[in-house]
Amino acid sequence: MSLRVLLQRLLGLVPLLLAISLLLFTIVHLAPGGPTDVYADNPSVTPQALAQIRSAYGLDQPLPVQYLRWVGAMARGVWGYSIRTGRPVTTEIAERLPASLLLGGTALALSALIALPIGILSAAWRRSPLDRVLTLLSFAGISIPVFWLALMLQLLFSIRWGLLPAAGYATIGDAGLLDRLRHLAMPAAVLSLATIATWSRFLRGSLVDTLQQDYVRTAYAKGHGTAGVIIHHALRNALIPVVTIISLDLASLISGAIITETVFAWPGIGRLFVESMDARDYPVLMGLMMLGSLALVLANLCADLVYTVIDPRIRHG
Amino acid sequence: MIRGFAAAAALLLAAAPAGAAQAGAAVPVRGGTLTVGIYYDVDTLNVYVTAALGDIEAAVVEGLVAPDEHAHYVPVLATAVPTLANGGIELTRQGAAMRVTYHLRPGVLWQDGVPLTSADVKFTWEAVRDPHFLAESKDGSEEVESIDTPDAATVVVNYRSVSPAFASTLFTFGILPKHLLAGKDLNHDPYNDKPLGTGPFMVSEFRRGQYVVLERNPRYWGRDAAGAPLPYLDRIIFTIIPNSNTLGTLIRAGEVLFAPRIPVMLAKQLRGTAGIDLVSGPSLSWSYLDFGLRRVPALRDPRVRRAIAQAINRSALVKAAGGYPRPIYSTVLPVFEDLYDPAPDAAVPDYDPAAANAALDAAGFGRGADGMRTRDGRPFELGITTQSGDIDGEIAEQILIAELKAIGIAAYADNKSGIAYREARYKGAFDLQYGRITTAADPVYSMFYGTHGPLNGRGYTSAAMDAALARMETSLLPSERRTASAEMQRIFARDLPSLPLLSTISIAAKTQRLQGYVTNPTNMTDFVSVAHWWLEPPGKSP
Repeated sequence: MSLRVLLQRLLGLVPLLLAISLLLFTIVHLAPGGPTDVYADNPSVTPQALAQIRSAYGLDQPLPVQYLRWVGAMARGVWGYSIRTGRPVTTEIAERLPASLLLGGTALALSALIALPIGILSAAWRRSPLDRVLTLLSFAGISIPVFWLALMLQLLFSIRWGLLPAAGYATIGDAGLLDRLRHLAMPAAVLSLATIATWSRFLRGSLVDTLQQDYVRTAYAKGHGTAGVIIHHALRNALIPVVTIISLDLASLISGAIITETVFAWPGIGRLFVESMDARDYPVLMGLMMLGSLALVLANLCADLVYTVIDPRIRHG
Repeated sequence: MIRGFAAAAALLLAAAPAGAAQAGAAVPVRGGTLTVGIYYDVDTLNVYVTAALGDIEAAVVEGLVAPDEHAHYVPVLATAVPTLANGGIELTRQGAAMRVTYHLRPGVLWQDGVPLTSADVKFTWEAVRDPHFLAESKDGSEEVESIDTPDAATVVVNYRSVSPAFASTLFTFGILPKHLLAGKDLNHDPYNDKPLGTGPFMVSEFRRGQYVVLERNPRYWGRDAAGAPLPYLDRIIFTIIPNSNTLGTLIRAGEVLFAPRIPVMLAKQLRGTAGIDLVSGPSLSWSYLDFGLRRVPALRDPRVRRAIAQAINRSALVKAAGGYPRPIYSTVLPVFEDLYDPAPDAAVPDYDPAAANAALDAAGFGRGADGMRTRDGRPFELGITTQSGDIDGEIAEQILIAELKAIGIAAYADNKSGIAYREARYKGAFDLQYGRITTAADPVYSMFYGTHGPLNGRGYTSAAMDAALARMETSLLPSERRTASAEMQRIFARDLPSLPLLSTISIAAKTQRLQGYVTNPTNMTDFVSVAHWWLEPPGKSP
């Protein structure tokens, strides 16, 4: 992809993100209730005071006006204030983002390290006992509910064996690496399990297809061993669908993992989203969803770039 | 049966002081860190702004008076609770308004060392009623006309009307420091993250979504019975655990030493855990089933409401809730001994499925071959709305659905969460609604059942009810309030605007090492008395 094409693609994201923001804004406001409902049932908040609160947040304006104001402010880099806590939206998000990035990043790295070898082994020895065991484990990984697995791990590692802290981000007053890793271990394991299972299945399927191509037979005929054929000839072609899946999962780094964060009391973006949704905290919700959308379209763009690296046909076609 | 319950409630109340006396027998140990697990996210630490109950705030910020473990007001920053008898309350304008005088406790310092004065009290009122201040709890600020501060230790509050519930609002929540906040924008001030109070503990660190650390306030005015300074504990760490199963795990693992107001389901799981006490205390809260009079025409027929009341077997609800709650038949809880009327005609109908079926037959709802009722060819279906994710509520809902099906009403769950639930609950967008209410020590029932009551989502209107409530809520004379309350309960039992089901209790899980702990039944939380709590050193407990 030339620089010019890349710039064109990046420019194309602007109308796309605008359309997404309009859609999100509409959906958020279609949900029943609003952020000032907490005041509505309070006899000491007079209708005049309520009107003042609504006007302070611009909620008394027609929705199109509210939307245009929000877009205008975002364009200037002003994200507004959380209605729930009264703090800047950027502060709210910036406080939670590192925890989500750490957890999600660790989980994705673990997934890549484990899923890719599993996928390759399964495909290379397909229909062997090893493949059947790995397939069974993969389906178990996809099927086990996250919250259940989390509870089981807590039961074993925290209560029975006392090896790991049951929940939380860090021990208060302990900023050490080991403490951080001990807190990270269980949530990262839980979060990566389903990803490992999905990625390895995708890679196996794709690799099995590729291994039946004519050029692979040719490679065998030229005397290459199985390892050589897979690594030098088949893997690169088989990776394309896997790259798509990985790029979509990369975007989830920014949107957080709601269930895992809740069960492990992990202070990430996913929990902030649920809390803001329950309070109809529009400014924070819009900020979070736009950030998630931006991450998704950028991850897709990255995937397109990676395709061109691994498949010359896409580059030249 | 109803009388029996009154006795049970009294027993429950008696349990608290016994615990306190026991704790007094041992010599309190100083120091230690109490880790507390809370299941809700902390939005702000400003007691007037937070949408949650202020557990943390109660340890940091103090009011002039506070409710004790019997829901009776006791002086905190004031030297006495104002009453007509002690001259603290005077009627003005020929009995149409009142004046309340507080004398401040001498020698109280803010946590930064500045003395507390009457100017702080007046500032609190001015700040809270300021329309620019976006606060959830402005209760009581509008009823005040003016405040005089004749000297630094005297506050005279002039009310526009007679307001018997004055003690459960404004100055009880907490006093704000004028020297820190005057002229500031309270909506965005750092105070909301790190409030300055006069209480036994100071906020030292607040990590959003994780924890709040409180340290002992060395300037605290409180002294124990032996004259030694309070509080006993060095530190309290509140950890935010949004999942009740995880909270249970942390309690079992000893990482959390105290958790207030845990769900009944968690209490059932924790029963019998070594080293853990489950302390149940009365709570000024009850569960109810509301009739959506706005939305469902059939429910406007009193015979139908009565039939639904007679379909519900409260003992099944009690059993599902681990045997902890008690059945109730009046919206005035028996713990309010001065207001509760145990007479049979003040009670809502009890379980009687035969009568329920007969009433529905008479109202024209015939039973089909499948046993379900129809009228004019249309099935009798009712959605029950409760808060999604509230385990205890969802279990009760399943029982209610089964009980309504037993009399031929096709009931189903129609649950909502967060603001959507609130909206349905208070604007009447439900057929039936199951919920819980926790009140202050002096409940204002017109909020729930008055024609214009802000929490009267069901759409109930009755001139007789409004009149009885007005008499009850504008009198300072106990006898008059009692008569008006009895009349209110009779109208309630006849009209059935709502169906009181169970008097819920609050259950706390605590380590057996925690001593001096007493429950508090009001919406001011257990932490009102935290200065007196102490921890036995590890290893000493049996």
